[in-house]
Amino acid sequence: MIATFRYEFRMQIRRPVLWIVYGLTFAVIVITLNPAYVDLQRSNDRDDPMTAMIVSADLLMSLLPIVYGCLLADRLVRDRRLGVVGVLDATPTAHTTRLIGKYLGTCAATAVPFTLAYFGRAVVYAIVEGEPSALGWAVVVFVTTTVPALLFVGALGLAGPLLMPPMLFQVLFVVYWFWGNLIYPSMMPTLADTILSPNSQYVAYGLLGYTPAPPGPTETHLIIGPDYYTYGGPTPGGASLDFLRPMADAPVALLWIGVMLVLAVFVLSLARLHTTRTES
Amino acid sequence: MRIEISRLTKTYRGGVHALDGLDLDVPTGMYGLLGSNGAGKTTLMRILAGLLKPTSGTVRIGGHDIATADGRLAVQRALGYLPQDLGVYPDLTARQFLDYIALLKGIDSRATRRRRIGELLEVVALTQDADRRLKGFSGGMLRRAGIAQALLADPRLLIVDEPTTGLDPEERIRFRTLLSQLAGDRTVLLSTHIVEDVAQTCRLLAVLTKGRLAFTGDVGGLVSQADHRVWTLTTPGPAPSHGRVVAAVPEGTGMRYRLIAPTAPDPYARPAEPTLEDGYLALMETGR
Repeated sequence: MIATFRYEFRMQIRRPVLWIVYGLTFAVIVITLNPAYVDLQRSNDRDDPMTAMIVSADLLMSLLPIVYGCLLADRLVRDRRLGVVGVLDATPTAHTTRLIGKYLGTCAATAVPFTLAYFGRAVVYAIVEGEPSALGWAVVVFVTTTVPALLFVGALGLAGPLLMPPMLFQVLFVVYWFWGNLIYPSMMPTLADTILSPNSQYVAYGLLGYTPAPPGPTETHLIIGPDYYTYGGPTPGGASLDFLRPMADAPVALLWIGVMLVLAVFVLSLARLHTTRTES
Repeated sequence: MRIEISRLTKTYRGGVHALDGLDLDVPTGMYGLLGSNGAGKTTLMRILAGLLKPTSGTVRIGGHDIATADGRLAVQRALGYLPQDLGVYPDLTARQFLDYIALLKGIDSRATRRRRIGELLEVVALTQDADRRLKGFSGGMLRRAGIAQALLADPRLLIVDEPTTGLDPEERIRFRTLLSQLAGDRTVLLSTHIVEDVAQTCRLLAVLTKGRLAFTGDVGGLVSQADHRVWTLTTPGPAPSHGRVVAAVPEGTGMRYRLIAPTAPDPYARPAEPTLEDGYLALMETGR
């Protein structure tokens, strides 16, 4: 598994497209949606390191997972496309071991630009604001909110193209991300803000005790809808699938983490099953 | 490693019978597997390499039943496999690719890997190109990298599927010589549709046709399939309708034909000494 991890990480991290697409998307986020991400003087969260780190993670989680998922889309199917799969399968290393190594290696590599953007901001914040605790909060927030989400999205990005061409998967994945994560729940039936959404804020609200400040004058929020204060519970006024939007508290936050991990394992298991079927 | 195959059948989805009750015994040494495209050679190779499950029948390699997970693992530990369509990661160098495969083959010691990879790069004459990315390699260089990866764990069983396809004549000869040298106390199973490759490297061989065993024995036995059935004829006219033309060479104002036919295809036809290719073609003709 370590061998596969190492080489899959190496091959993915070297892809110029990884850095180019992340760079462009990050620039779009910063320039058009939230200049305060890089201009701390315009940010309204500078007095609270935890809040600043949660807002950072939330902002990156709005669009960067699209890049993350799409860049993973060819990694599993390319072994067959390149014709390497015969040589790999003839080795004594079990297929499941290689799948896990590939999953962890490619996901880790694809998350590097994401991680650099996030922790880069945390370091700048800690220096500019004189708040070294921001670094600790950055780790806590990243591990509890971002990592579980990326594990699920990574499994989806890797396994999805087994069922359809990678290009089609990438298009559908972008559609899924907007529909299932960024649409306001009362606008249409959506998985956004549910316990199944990787972009949910259950950990921030239920585990870390986050309470959002009112939107600043220069801030634009990505959730498409009228109410900014709707995370972590049923939609005000009601919406379909609200049974999947329990009130945020610590157990629900932990449940969300568990759901993300279980979904990741489930998707990978389906991928393994699919490979077994196509082998015979 | 002795390979014992008994009543082996493989039927793909859609009802395509790739192998149909195959019985075959492959001893240690170099062994050739001939057959036309679609004869079932690659399916057999993939089953032996543990990549494909047979529909029925048994395969024992070195005493291990490959139908069991333990047996398959034991075989794969002793296996070097060069598939017909070898793919590589284009963004890795030859050395990195070999290092990756070596790790997957369980060579955990970095020093051992480094030494073994260095030796094999030397054997396949890729030392100078070891740190070039594989995307810049020619077809012949990729085949050589392929054989190097197959030899990494010093396998006792080497399965090579159509290894010389796409190689230029010089590389083919070099490759065949390498395979013959490797045979020694190993079992080397060479699958090909190029008769010349088997003629130059193997003493024993089998011929597959439509998933069945059409012949098994030594090279002389296959050649004798064409005894008294090979003819040459030089004529200014067209080839005789009776018999199968295996060669046609312009000569003076006419053509010199080499034919396979049970009886003289023309009153002027003269008998000729059969080659392995003639024997193979005669066998195929008989099976039609």
